[in-house]
Amino acid sequence: MKSTRPVTPYLFLAPALAVFGFAVLAPMLLTVGFSFTEWNGFGPMTFVGVDNYARATADAVFRDSFVHVVIYILATLVLEVALGLGLAGLLSVGRGGLWFRVAFFAPVMLPLVVVAVLWSFVYNADFGLINAGLGAIGLHDFQRVWLGDTSTALLAVSFVSGWVFAGFYMMIFYAAFRQIPNEVLEAARMDGAGEWALFRLVKVPMIRNAIAVAILLCVTGGFQGFDLFFVLTNGGPYGSTEIPTTYLVKTVFRNGDVGYGSAMAVVLTAIVLGVGFVYTRLHRPGTTA
Amino acid sequence: MRSPAKHLAALATGAVVLAAACTSAPASDNVLRIAMGSPGEAQIRVWDDVAKQFEAANPGMKVELNYQDDDLYQTIGLQNLLNGRNAPDIYFEWTGNRLAQRVKDGFAADISSKFDSGPLAGLFDDTTLDEYKIEDKIVMVPYSADVTNVLWYNKQILADAGVQPPTSWEELLAVCDTLNAAGVTPIASGNKDLWAAGNWLSHMASRVVGEDAYVSTLGGTGKFATPEWEKAFGYITELADHKCVNESANSIDDNEGAQLFFQGKAAMHPIGSWLVSWAIDEAPDLDFDYVNLPAMPDGAGNQDSVIGVQTGFVINAKSAKVDKAAEFMAMLNSDENVQKLIEAEVTPLTKSASAGQDIDSRSANLTALLNDAPAIVLPPDTGYDLEMADALYAAEAAVLGGQQTPAEALGGIDKKIGR
Repeated sequence: MKSTRPVTPYLFLAPALAVFGFAVLAPMLLTVGFSFTEWNGFGPMTFVGVDNYARATADAVFRDSFVHVVIYILATLVLEVALGLGLAGLLSVGRGGLWFRVAFFAPVMLPLVVVAVLWSFVYNADFGLINAGLGAIGLHDFQRVWLGDTSTALLAVSFVSGWVFAGFYMMIFYAAFRQIPNEVLEAARMDGAGEWALFRLVKVPMIRNAIAVAILLCVTGGFQGFDLFFVLTNGGPYGSTEIPTTYLVKTVFRNGDVGYGSAMAVVLTAIVLGVGFVYTRLHRPGTTA
Repeated sequence: MRSPAKHLAALATGAVVLAAACTSAPASDNVLRIAMGSPGEAQIRVWDDVAKQFEAANPGMKVELNYQDDDLYQTIGLQNLLNGRNAPDIYFEWTGNRLAQRVKDGFAADISSKFDSGPLAGLFDDTTLDEYKIEDKIVMVPYSADVTNVLWYNKQILADAGVQPPTSWEELLAVCDTLNAAGVTPIASGNKDLWAAGNWLSHMASRVVGEDAYVSTLGGTGKFATPEWEKAFGYITELADHKCVNESANSIDDNEGAQLFFQGKAAMHPIGSWLVSWAIDEAPDLDFDYVNLPAMPDGAGNQDSVIGVQTGFVINAKSAKVDKAAEFMAMLNSDENVQKLIEAEVTPLTKSASAGQDIDSRSANLTALLNDAPAIVLPPDTGYDLEMADALYAAEAAVLGGQQTPAEALGGIDKKIGR
């Protein structure tokens, strides 16, 4: 039957569309528009065509920032997802899991800026906990300027990220483990499977979809990483921890180059969407489990 | 019947109209809005007091003071405020490139008439006001002058090591060697954000290449990769070779760098005049003083030059309260309030400031250093284009950290800024 009030559905949709329009669509479209201009944010705007995109292609710092973020993502896949999976596996076996769950999940509840400030004290080469600890046990040769050395800075930031988010992924995997029917686990045990075999051959395969989601979250979240890098290293030393978001923020808000920054934002968004799209195509529901 | 596409178009149009309504418009209420980076508790007390005086003298008017984090204000903060619905009527700014940009963007009122016959008449010397003009128009009310870099030293540590504060480059390197041999870090720098050592090393470079070459390279289009600049950067390599600077310099910020100095873990600290009030608060027992940057051998620049910047308050050209804003600034610069500012360790630029009695001797000497300087060098990040300044600072940090040779670093600057 044909509706007598064709406008009604749109009126119901209007609030959601307005919010979506203001919060997502308009900023995205404006960013794309700005990317074709030279503009400092409030002065006159000049149309420059694809110059900003050409500049981004030739910009070694921007290019290197993607290398850094990929290394960071690979490190966090181990330190967050793999470690979270391992912790969830341990907690699903032993007793007293509640206390461990709370302990491991607690860092997730802290604002990342607070975490970064806290760890900047831990890593401080002159007053920090790590070097003091190493010194106290006579391991002076292992003392480092953790955040000031190009060989350790990126890993140091990745480690903090792992410290925060391993608990988050642990909770996801723990919840997934709890969904596995007891009958399946009992049957495996009756067939002689130990806890390690149970984890590796039964539990992990059965939560494959949860793992796929966790990996997607970790990868796309890695591209969006900002707070830890901004506070701990601000892209240094010598640009070795510069990632697209920190470089973008410096370009737009420090150098006032909104046009170029917008072009970088468009490129970054396209890459994140591309990665997400490819990943979800490869891991369609039903193709993995 | 309208198509769904038309309905969506109507919604989109509504969104655009609403968005337009949310954009910048100067407020025309009775609130005088003032924005600045946080100047510290002592100065905030003075500003709050002046705001009360102004409200008492102008019934119905309210003064709203917005103190932002310094870095936030310098980067995104002021920019957002100026483009917001309640843009500040008065805002803090540095002279140089930033001020010129504000004028270009229409955010700085021509207030020349306020100094001729208005409320600000007679408060400042003409020579002081010359620094606050763009195209012969006064566009900022002078506030203070800051020396942005001298070499502070811990008197006790130098005395214990049997060395004098260095006044020449050779002396500086010798002092570094002596202090290192004594197990003391010679110079503490917190250069994670690059400007702290950047200011210092850029001043050093200006002494070597000469002020004219410094200005023409930073403010023009000339290349950095020249023999003069390479010679200047060669001295940074010498600093690294003599291990003059703390190993952690590139991983700690300016606050942490200062803490090394305050806690006696380093003998010297290159930073600006603001260290005085900071040290008095955080290290009251520290016995410290300063020397200007040691003279560079065979430098083309004036070896007594001072790196410094003048600051002030701009009256927003888009404000509907320009007259009231000028009256407020006149009140701030009254004799009585200037004395309060001096007590808060500000170096005001009014004529009456010279009558201040309570100023710290080091602050007074720094003011004299700036006033009597035969040449004043502007810091790259406030006097020139920020992108260029960032590239220069990053290159200096790379040489200081032994990551690049002077030639590599200078070539990198040119490549980065497209020269």
